[in-house]
Amino acid sequence: MDDLPAKVQELIKELDEAAEDEDLDKIKELTQILLKTGVDVETITLEKLSLLVMEGEEEMSQGWTRVAIQAGLDPFKTLIEGLAKGMSLIGAKYEKGEAFVPQLLIASSAMYGGMDLLDPYLKQEKNTASKPLTVVIGTVEGDVHDIGKNIVKTLLSANGFNCVDLGNDVPASRFIEAAKENRATVISMSTLMTTTMAEMPKVIHMLEEECIRDKLLVMVGGAPVTTEYASQIKADVSPHDAVSAASWLKASVLNYPSESARWG
Amino acid sequence: MVAEMTSKERVLSMLNRKQVDRVPVVTGSTMVKEYIEKSGGVWPDYHSNPEMMVNTAGLIHTDAGIDNVVVPFGMFIESHAVNLEVKMGRIDIQPSVRSFFSNPEEVKYDNFLEDKYVKTTLDAIKLAKERFPDAAVTAFLVAPVTLAGDLMGAENLSVLSIKCLQKEKQMQKMKNWISVALEINKIYARACVEAGADVLYYSDASASPNLVMPEFYYEVAVPAEKEIGDFVHSLGCPWELHICGNTTPIVEGMAATGANCLSVEQAVKMSEVTKIAGKVPVIGNITPLLMVEGSEEQITGAVRNALDGGAKASMLGCGTPPLSTSDRLKTWVKAVADWSAENL
Repeated sequence: MDDLPAKVQELIKELDEAAEDEDLDKIKELTQILLKTGVDVETITLEKLSLLVMEGEEEMSQGWTRVAIQAGLDPFKTLIEGLAKGMSLIGAKYEKGEAFVPQLLIASSAMYGGMDLLDPYLKQEKNTASKPLTVVIGTVEGDVHDIGKNIVKTLLSANGFNCVDLGNDVPASRFIEAAKENRATVISMSTLMTTTMAEMPKVIHMLEEECIRDKLLVMVGGAPVTTEYASQIKADVSPHDAVSAASWLKASVLNYPSESARWG
Repeated sequence: MVAEMTSKERVLSMLNRKQVDRVPVVTGSTMVKEYIEKSGGVWPDYHSNPEMMVNTAGLIHTDAGIDNVVVPFGMFIESHAVNLEVKMGRIDIQPSVRSFFSNPEEVKYDNFLEDKYVKTTLDAIKLAKERFPDAAVTAFLVAPVTLAGDLMGAENLSVLSIKCLQKEKQMQKMKNWISVALEINKIYARACVEAGADVLYYSDASASPNLVMPEFYYEVAVPAEKEIGDFVHSLGCPWELHICGNTTPIVEGMAATGANCLSVEQAVKMSEVTKIAGKVPVIGNITPLLMVEGSEEQITGAVRNALDGGAKASMLGCGTPPLSTSDRLKTWVKAVADWSAENL
């Protein structure tokens, strides 16, 4: 943005301040002035959004989402190329060991803050969009640690998946019910503790007993869960972190049978 | 050649950086289902019945040969005593804290020592001292950052750990939480030492780089851990500091807290962290799941890796899984004894 005219840079700075102060009238007024300058408001706004989410600036991400709405930008594009891109950027840094969990959490809040504002506009366009695939996600029974699970959910949502979040301490039978109710493509289970790992094969056995194991993918994760363990309990994968989970799932569903082919 | 020691002498020598007859084997939690059943324990009574608790915890010393006897079973006592909601788990699942406060002023701890689980811990320490005078009776306690996380909610702790580095107002908020946690820690520590605990084992699970910023650890957690540690030392008791996850980026800070030893888990490379910790003994870092499904070869291999890497005591990385089997626990102890016979 350094190559923008000084006047535009000044406007962006003023918008940053208005966003931080949550001054809605000022945001509205400044957005109109920015539009009149003739600059590419879409490119500026999407770049701002992705950087603000990456930095976990919740108020400012909301402020710039208001700019996007005010400027009439496509809400899906704002979500995917702005807010969600920011989440992916911090996710990539985390994967390289350049960021930590708290940074993922504040980026997640920033992304959801913007998404809440976009939601009414996204709903208006939902009929024209293709139906997202559903992931039933939860922390297994006996384990209340759900920070990791929430980060996986955020990154999957940022990558276009519909996440049905069952929360933490989820009994095995609840995973099965939710998978059936939502015609799920994936069950994603996590645990932080070695003591509750045995709940994961329990869910997989129940899927087999219900004859629905082949209708969906099973992803398992959490600090003590290894690839060997995933394979031993017949899960499909145990990604080593939330970013890998999103990448793996995106690649895996490309050639996966459609929801109607699997669930009828 | 060092003369044969009792378990207690062995553990205390290690903590005081003296020579040992063999490397100590210690644990941080002892809620093992097989031993609960063998000793006639009944869920959830063994959490509030000192006799049942010590009968179970004692078996890990007398049957498996581990050098310490640890009470209580889990990291929920402090939270329960300040009226947070606790789910009692199952015979194979430790209790967990299910609620949190909105601000530090809500935390009331005037009657902390009247809590039934706190009383059980103190009675169990006294009983364990009578029954197992040759073992290192160890109190398993929640360290300040983790307790602050239980009080405010773990996700709030994680988020505040970055915000407090950015804004002074947020730092003050964090310090207020930590200050309450430390007050509770001191009340409980004093009572445990007065009850006769030989060692206080502090788990600061939530101070891990897996949950909070490493910069936060150095700036906030180290002074807090040092404060409770200095207090414990002033009572004449040694203390151990455990932090979960990959602690390599913060081991230097852990070593600066004054802890008598640092307990690390399998996510770290022992030879690397022992170098960073310098003279402060590091203990660990056997994969806990090996006690549930590991082969003799796997257990022996893990023990040797840790001891070859410079560990001064053998310990499971992150607590003893409730489904651990006594034969595997014995294999672990034997592997440590064999290594000691060859190397000490």
